[in-house]
Amino acid sequence: MKKYIIGRVIKSIISVFIVISIVIVMLFTLIPKTNIFKNDTSIQKMKGDARTTYMYSKWDELGYLDYVSFNEMCTNEADDYSACVALKADEVEKVIARYEANNYKIETLSSGQVFAYHEFNIFELLGHFYGKVLQIDHPNKIKDESNPDLERKYYVGNDYNGLPAIMCSGCEYKYQVYFDGSFPFIHQNVITLDFGTSYPTKTGIETLTVINGGQGNQKSVEQTFPTGSTQKSPLIQHSCRYKASSTLDKMDKNKFTDNYALCDSSYDSPSMITTSYIFGISSLVIAYLISIPAGIYMARKKGKIADKIGIAYINFLSAVPSLAFIFIVKQIGQGFGFPDKFPQYGFGDIRSYILPILILALLNTSGLMMWTRRYMIDQSNADYVKFAKAKGLSESEIFNRHILKNAIIPIVNGIPGAIILCISGSVITESVFAIPGMGKMLPDSINLLNNNMVITLTFIYTTLSVFSVLAGDLLMTLVDPRIKLTEKGD
Amino acid sequence: MSNNIILSVKDLEVKFKVRDRVLTAIRNISLDFEEGKTVAIVGESGSGKSVFTKTFTGMLEVNGTVSNGSIMFEGQDLAKIKKDKDWEQIRGKKIATVFQDPMTSLDPVRTIGYQISEVIIKHQGKSKAEAKKLAIELMEKVGIYNAADRYDEYPFQYSGGMRQRIVIAIALACRPRILICDEPTTALDVTIQAQIINLIKSLSKEYGFTTIYITHDLGVVANVADMVAVMYAGQIIEYGTVEEVFYDPRHPYTWGLLASLPQLGTKGEDLFSIHGTPPSLFEKIQGDAFALRSGYAMQIDFEEEPPIFYISDTHFAKTWLLDPRAPHVEPPKSIQNLHERLLATTDKGGYHG
Repeated sequence: MKKYIIGRVIKSIISVFIVISIVIVMLFTLIPKTNIFKNDTSIQKMKGDARTTYMYSKWDELGYLDYVSFNEMCTNEADDYSACVALKADEVEKVIARYEANNYKIETLSSGQVFAYHEFNIFELLGHFYGKVLQIDHPNKIKDESNPDLERKYYVGNDYNGLPAIMCSGCEYKYQVYFDGSFPFIHQNVITLDFGTSYPTKTGIETLTVINGGQGNQKSVEQTFPTGSTQKSPLIQHSCRYKASSTLDKMDKNKFTDNYALCDSSYDSPSMITTSYIFGISSLVIAYLISIPAGIYMARKKGKIADKIGIAYINFLSAVPSLAFIFIVKQIGQGFGFPDKFPQYGFGDIRSYILPILILALLNTSGLMMWTRRYMIDQSNADYVKFAKAKGLSESEIFNRHILKNAIIPIVNGIPGAIILCISGSVITESVFAIPGMGKMLPDSINLLNNNMVITLTFIYTTLSVFSVLAGDLLMTLVDPRIKLTEKGD
Repeated sequence: MSNNIILSVKDLEVKFKVRDRVLTAIRNISLDFEEGKTVAIVGESGSGKSVFTKTFTGMLEVNGTVSNGSIMFEGQDLAKIKKDKDWEQIRGKKIATVFQDPMTSLDPVRTIGYQISEVIIKHQGKSKAEAKKLAIELMEKVGIYNAADRYDEYPFQYSGGMRQRIVIAIALACRPRILICDEPTTALDVTIQAQIINLIKSLSKEYGFTTIYITHDLGVVANVADMVAVMYAGQIIEYGTVEEVFYDPRHPYTWGLLASLPQLGTKGEDLFSIHGTPPSLFEKIQGDAFALRSGYAMQIDFEEEPPIFYISDTHFAKTWLLDPRAPHVEPPKSIQNLHERLLATTDKGGYHG
């Protein structure tokens, strides 16, 4: 069993790798790289050399190619830097030749200045991505020339809430392992994922922060900083990262005694992923609470009026396009005074949640009811039911003790998937109600050619899907004694 | 020989509604079952063997009804029971059934122990611990080794023969007065078949229940039965002790059945078979239902249904051949001296049971 699970996990990781690699190669090689500027507002105003330089530096930043400006060319390869910068012909030619020998192409700007670039092939693309995606923090991580005396060590101390934490000097993050009141209560900054930054929307913000960071207005709370000053501030001290000495300002020094002053802020609204999760989980719970008893009841009353009403309901929900259904329920709901757009009352008001959750739940019920009913009926025709009847058990005893336990197996298998995939949000419902959730992220970022965001989302969705299948299988072993997870069929 | 009648069937008629047509599956059967006897019901597929016994436990499919007749059991007319609640007092408790396929008769996701003790708790009102004790005793009785250890195992951990033993244990858990075995060995291989048959036989002696066997296998009948009922087209056309039916059969259909025994086949010759198919039960049957397939049919067979003719107190047959006016007919040669010839094949190890 243990061996099997490890095997499955390894296979799952490999499949995630394959999917991500395919997506990276497709994004970077199949879409013309000039397309990414279509939605960039800043490039519209640029012309000539400025535009060219901007494009190349963006491509460099996004990982399409390695762009080397003339100044850098001289810095890196020239024997005589000043001769190079002074455009001495033989020195420049020498530098160009060195770059060309390294598979770089040389372009000339209209001003006559040259620059070099090297377009990455598939293997370099993947190499760079996987090289930086997993960031492991360690005390020698920070290289800050303006602060040569930086101590390099781990230490245990109390954080600003007085709770013990493993802290670090010289690492990227000050708090390596710490506790707080939010799930799962113990947190770490040792291993972090870096998928690059978002572009062209939310330019410069890391994609994971876009998805996982708070939304809305900054929320200040009273807190004590290492200098001892107590003030209202939105900063989350656990998230503080190293800031080079040369960039530390007065406000930083007012709060922090060390260089760890680059902190995330807390916001009054939950992140996209949390928003989608709140809606997803609530609607899922409601959907299961309605559908499973309803499906069971329909199976027990097969062919009777209750069953027929249920089938009519299932048919109605399956036949009506979900968009139409959403608008019907929305119209009805407005009559009862529920808002038609989420931001009208916002996160703090229960009324904002009712309609979207109801819609998501009802949309889920038809399928769940149908399958539950079907599994139940399949099982009630089994031979063991006939024998159970011959044993003298009553119909409800047969249902509750035998049929239910058999029919629930395939239903249980799907539950982890349903729970985990709530994260992905619902495109239509979230759009209709203008809910700031994950639903629209993937189609939007594909439209805007926000490559890093697409990769991040693909990674999240693939990982969750693959592991939810595994979780479903594991859960199934709990309810079905016949299933044992082993490598071979023994 | 005790003559206590435990179950008495009178003029039983069962009808099924199949796509707006009515099929008469059981046509006026009257039969008394004596206590402690083993009665075998034989006949080809579709002759109504299973339907007949299903009426004793109210297990007919939803489209079937007892349209006439009575089934008297312990002073109660089973044919009149309508509610499942009343049936629960009979099923499993008084009349138990063992079905054909042990592989699917048990709930795959409940433990063996649970499935046995469930019945004991329900019908005998025992506590969980008492039921477990009784269940383990029963498991030992039906020949499960290490019963205590295997109590918590699941059906998939048992072999087919073992599962049928468990099914029998469950059926006997409440000491029923009648055990209906609906082809209990058909799905098992030959060596296991013999074990299961002998198990049922010895348990019936020990517990003193009446056994009703439904089977195609005349070998089984010869081995276990006291009485044999031959069914054809929803009727019992011959009934008698096993000796009477095997060695002095009177109905041409019984002759045909016996003549088709594979054990009687001679090497190099085609095995005997009864030609044709049984009549459709959707239509009213005129005369003797077997007339069309019988080599001995007379004019009267096509016109009027034969009455029951008694050959002895225990032996009757429904055929005009027994009418005093009928010409004398000898049974076919192949089934004469059946006794000696069966014994001979048994000695050679050709017995299938």
